[in-house]
Order: sequence, then C-alpha cells, then structure tokens
Amino acid sequence: MNIPQALLPKSSANGFPRRRGDREGGARLENKVQSGKPNQGRIQTSAEVAGGKAGRCESSSRDRLVFLTTCLIGHMVEVHVKNGSIYTGIFHATDAEKDFGIILKMARMIKEGTSQGNKPVTEFVSKAPTKILIIPAKELVQVIAKDVAVTSDGFASELQHEKHQELLIDSVISQSRHVGMERELERWVPDEDVPQCPELENIFGGSRNRNWDQFETNQKLFGVQSTFNEELYTTKLERGPQTRELEKEAMRIAREIEGEETQDLHLAEERGFDLHNNLDIDEEMRYSSVFRGRGFDDSGYEEEEDIKLDSHNVETFGDSSDSLSRGPADLTSFHLVDEAPSSQAAIGADLYHTGFNGQSKQLASEIPSESFSVSGSESRIQDNLLGEHGGSSDAKGFAQKQSPSVDQQLSNAIDSHSLLNDKFEGSDKAGPPANPTTQPQANFMSKVSEKPASSGERSEGPAANKVTGETRSVNSCGQPVSSTSSNSDSVAAVSASSGPGLSPSSSMGSLSSEKSTLNPHAKEFKFNPNAKSFKPSQTSVRPPSPVSDGSFYYQTQATPVPHMHMPVTFGIGPSFPGHQPVVFNPQVASMQSTQAYFHPSGPQYGQQMLLGQRPVMYYQPEMQYKGREY
Amino acid sequence: MEGEEFAVGCLLSIKTTLGDEFEGQIISYDRLSNILILQEGLESGPRRNIRLLKANYIKEFSLLRQDEDPLDVKKCFLDLTSLQAREDSAVRQAEADSERFGVGVTSEAQNLFDALSKTLPVRWDKTVIVVMNEVRVSSPYLPECVSGGTPAANERVKKVLELERKRMQTRTSQ
Repeated sequence: MNIPQALLPKSSANGFPRRRGDREGGARLENKVQSGKPNQGRIQTSAEVAGGKAGRCESSSRDRLVFLTTCLIGHMVEVHVKNGSIYTGIFHATDAEKDFGIILKMARMIKEGTSQGNKPVTEFVSKAPTKILIIPAKELVQVIAKDVAVTSDGFASELQHEKHQELLIDSVISQSRHVGMERELERWVPDEDVPQCPELENIFGGSRNRNWDQFETNQKLFGVQSTFNEELYTTKLERGPQTRELEKEAMRIAREIEGEETQDLHLAEERGFDLHNNLDIDEEMRYSSVFRGRGFDDSGYEEEEDIKLDSHNVETFGDSSDSLSRGPADLTSFHLVDEAPSSQAAIGADLYHTGFNGQSKQLASEIPSESFSVSGSESRIQDNLLGEHGGSSDAKGFAQKQSPSVDQQLSNAIDSHSLLNDKFEGSDKAGPPANPTTQPQANFMSKVSEKPASSGERSEGPAANKVTGETRSVNSCGQPVSSTSSNSDSVAAVSASSGPGLSPSSSMGSLSSEKSTLNPHAKEFKFNPNAKSFKPSQTSVRPPSPVSDGSFYYQTQATPVPHMHMPVTFGIGPSFPGHQPVVFNPQVASMQSTQAYFHPSGPQYGQQMLLGQRPVMYYQPEMQYKGREY
Repeated sequence: MEGEEFAVGCLLSIKTTLGDEFEGQIISYDRLSNILILQEGLESGPRRNIRLLKANYIKEFSLLRQDEDPLDVKKCFLDLTSLQAREDSAVRQAEADSERFGVGVTSEAQNLFDALSKTLPVRWDKTVIVVMNEVRVSSPYLPECVSGGTPAANERVKKVLELERKRMQTRTSQ
C-alpha cells in the first residue's frame, strides 16, 4: 500500500502546527492514494512500509498501525496537539513511512490550547474550516476516532450506512459493489405512546369545530395578513333564506351516497363495509394494486375492440341488424380467414403480400376495413385496420367454431373467389349467385372494391364523385338488409346463406365477442326483390398500401371515366394481395374490349394462376352474372 | 514501554500529560513511531473507538488485565475505493456544512442562525445574518438589531428572533 508522504514542515519554528492551504500538496497526496486504489483487499505488507526494519514483531505492529490509520481515512477525527489545542476534521492521510504526521481536511479548531487558558464556550469564535491541515508528528499527541470500522463486517455496515446518508450520484449508485446490498424491510409499528388508529377528526375536535382559525393565528404570531378568499377556489354559495333546507338536503343526499353499498374495495373500506369475503385480499390488494374487476383479463381487450368496431359500423352503415351474418354458411368466407391464425397483425403490411391463404385471410380482414373506410378518411382506414385485427381474429375464431360444417366449403374456395369476382362484377350480377356460399365473399368483395375506390378517391381526383356512389353501394353492401342499390341480387341470394360478409364489420364485431356469436342487435334479413343490383363505381382506386401493386394503380389510371361500366372492379380488387382475382372475374366478354386494360393485369393473371390452387375458378363466376344489369 | 509491543490485548488505564484519562485495550504499539493504538470499550462489534496515542505523552499507566488480541487479523480487509469515496463524501458534506457556519461569530450567534434557518432562508454575510436576502441581523443579534426588508418581513424576523431567544433562555435555565 502506498501511503502518501506528508509534506512536513520541518522548518516550523514554533510549536504550532503549520497550516497550509496547500492544495497542490493535497492533490499530490490524493494522487498517491489513488494510485493505491488498485490494491484492493488486504494491505500489502509491511516489508516495504516498515522501511527496512527487520523483525517480524515490529513489522507486524507496524502493519497494524498502517492498517488502522488506513481505516481512519475519510473519518471524522479529533486530533490533540502538544499545546493543548484540539482539531477536528476528516482524516486524510498519514505519513506511514516516516513518523506518522497527520493530514486533515476541512479541519476546525474546537479548542484552543493557548497559554492563556481556555475561553468560555460562548465566546468562542468560529473560524472557517481549513481545507487542509497538516499536523507534524512532533506536535501530535493523540488522535481519537469514534465508531471506526475495523473489520470487514464493519466496513459493510458502514457502506450501507453511508449509502443512505447522503445523496447518491449515479456513478456511485451504479458501482456494482453496491449491488445486492439491501435493507431488510421491517413492518412499521407505531410508537408505544401513540393511540391506536387515531382519528384525525378527533384530534382536532372534529371538522365541525371551527374554534381555531389558522389565519388569525398566523396573524397573531407572525403578523401576516391573509388574503385568502374561499370564493376564489370554489363555487360561491348563495346564503339566503333557503340555506338551512338546502344544507339539510345536501346532507341527506351525501349520507345516502355514502351509505350505498359498493363492490369496490376502497369505497367499501371508506364507508365501513367489510368486503373481504375471500381471504385472498392482502394489504397490497387493498391499498395499492390496481383493481381489475372480476374475471377480467386482457383478452377482454378484444371485446372492447369489437365494441368499437360495432360503433364504427353503426356510424358507417347506420344501425342495422343483420341476421344474415349469423348464418352458418357464412362461415365459408370466414373459413378462409381461418386459415392462418397468426399474421392478422400484419394486416397493413401483409394485405397485399401473402399467398393464397393469406389472401383469404386478408380477404376477411380487408373487407371489414374496407367497409369501414367507406366514409373515408385514411386514418379511419388505419384505425379500422388495426381494429380489425381484433375483429378479424374474432371472425376467425368464429369461423373456427363452425369449421366442420364449413370444411366442405373449403373446396368451394373457388366460390369465394368467384364471389370476389362476383363482387367486382357488381354490376354484372344478374341474379342471385348459384352458390350461396359465394355470396358472402361477394359481399366482401364489393366491400373490398368499395374501399379501394374510396381511398382511391382521394388520390385520384376525378374519382371523387364515384366515391359517393361507392359509398352508397358500399352501404348497401354493408347492410344487406337494407338492400338499397348495389348487389341486392347477390345479396338477396345470399340471404339464405348470408354471410358474415354482408356486414363484415358488424359481424366481425359481434363475432369477436366471445359471449355470443350473433349480433344481438342484428335485424333479421329480409330479402328485398326490388333491390337494385350492385353497381360499383368506376373509380376503383385501391387504398394506398405499402405494397406497390403497380399493376393496380396502373389500371386505375387506365380506367378513366369513360369506362364507367367497366368492371372497374379490376382496380377494386385491392384487398387481394396484388392479385385481383376480381380482375379476372370481369366478364370474359369484356375482356376483349378491355384488352388494353388487361395488360397490366395480364401478368397478374398469370400470377393468379400461380397463386392458387384454384386459378381456374376465377372464370367460373362469370357464368353467374348473366343477369347483370349493366 | 518496550514490553508493550508484546502486550497486544492488554487493558490499560492511562493518564496523559495533558490531563486525559482513559482506558483502552492495546491493539498495537509501534515502536518506531512510538504510537500506541488503543481500542476503547470492549472489543466486539465491527465498529470501535480508536485512539492513537503518542507514547511519550503517557504520564502514567496501569495494567488492568490481559486479554486476547482484539483485532482479528483474518477479518481485516480494506477497500481503498470505498475509503476514498467515504472521504470524498465527507469532504463534500463538510463543504456544504461550512456554508452554515459563520466565521468569527460566537456560538450563540450560530445557534440563533440555526434556529432561524429552520423556518426562514438565511445565510451568513460575514457576521451578519441575512434573512430572505433582505432583512439583516447584526451583532449582537437582538430584536433591535433587525434592519432592512419590508415592514412585514422585518416584523416577522423580529418576532422569530424574540421567540428564539426566549426559548434559548428557558433551555439554558433548565
């Protein structure tokens, strides 16, 4: 161990200790101490320190001296000097190689031992503490230190003690040696002489006791004039002839409220009821943790989502109940959703990316969002998308529940696709699609188309009016029951099977609720033979999506106003990952005429073929739309 | 004196040339520097009162009894970093404290200062107590010596001063 050399004033003539505010010297000493830092643990022995003195005994006693003086570092000590003066300060260093002069920091003289004798205490004049005080060994008489930690356990306890004493700076705190040193927590017990659970009110004689006026008291004691005006902080009370009665009434009401029964733990405690029926409630539960309600868990989150969805739906489509959506047959569409449980989350991103399975999934998810977006703000879409997440997963769940029946329908996936196509056909639909199962899909599709249309609206100016048209149609889509314009036919047809697609959003919402799969508010679907068939408007603009479906956009651009009746659906089939099965559905007939437009989709065509295991299906639906009213 | 180095653990009663009297157990005696290290009080405990005494100032001593070595060498470890840290924090603390102590003031004045500081922001300006940066109380710190500040503040300080003096009087008279 390297104990710094003291700068001893050998030349001090008189016996008084020399005071040196020698910062430099101090710094040097400190440096030396610091250099000794790496040597943690046991003190290096004595051999070097002893300075050449042979003999174990001496070296060991020297060791001890060194050890003990080191223990004193940083400690508050009292140093007596030859002339009787006593200094107190922080022990900084000693000259262990020579004769153990002492260096103190922030030292003060607390007793002056002069030849004149001691002055009375009260007259003792304080002096500024000396930054560094060096006491030569010759002057030194004794050093007294209290509560010095000598052994390792002493150090440990001292560290803890210190830890709690002053403000800790981060670097101190983060020193790993402090890690793990914790206090043993003890439960607080009140003092012996304090009455058990004193009521605050009683202590002050009850709040009714207005004998003590704080402002008055303050004025008396300190001459402070108060400017407190109660009316600045609360409603002004009208004190008229009615005051008494009003007060009584208020009291009565207050009592009533306070006497009410409650299930809330905290309120109950306040009111004096004992709700602790089960002993599971510990102190934490009673006073600090957040109360989560019975049987409530995070899965309830979905329920909320659904409620939100529901309300969204209501906003968008008006309040309509859709019994259709309850049809088991609906499951087909949902069944598709069923496929991949996981990636619902990636709705936004994945929408246009996934494969067939994803497609179906997205189908379902897209649809709801699409329907929501009808009224349109993008943010809305986003919200819906997000919300849909819960919704769709629920839909999925719903689908799953009834999967057995739907399984067979799977093979009819074609149907769904055809449905999609159907939807796009929208206007093409002649009569109710042969395959009821397709209906829901169709519905979805229309919605899907709607959405892109609406969103597209924004991006593509001219389409603006279309949006409204879309909206309308979408609305009808959303509410098959209402059977206004749009795919009434198909919708009607669907009624039998009815699809969740009809009002995907609402159905989603209701589906998601674990409690009942049916929307209790849904109105029964009534087929309306007079409903106009669905005519999607031209602007099938896809909603902006991360996926660059160049082809889609291309198409949309390619479908200018003139081609109003083009199965704009091409562009509409947005929800499908880049592939617009919808595109295909376009009447084969129209295909020729719209060759130009098909180009972009051409490749998609092929893509779609690749996509699926059922490329062929895309064409089938066409036959269904013979009755299209274009 | 020389026998002491072998007498670790001895309990001695010592009188110093300066008039101090105490008892302590020898932890060590270093002949070279002539320093006797004593531990006051019974051993035990991780924390002890240590006294370093220059043996040449011992007027007289007597051996009370012989005990074993109070220092368990096996448990003696030093952590230099923590020692350094301790010193640093002590210095910091002392520096903060020094703001509170007036220089060249009597302890009575210091007491008054401390009392005032409990409820009012006070600081020293040489030997003048400055309250709330406006009111000044100079020696001998009587209510008459309060000056400055708004009348309200002035009054307040006067009142507190009076109260404090009264309290000190009752205390000293007890």
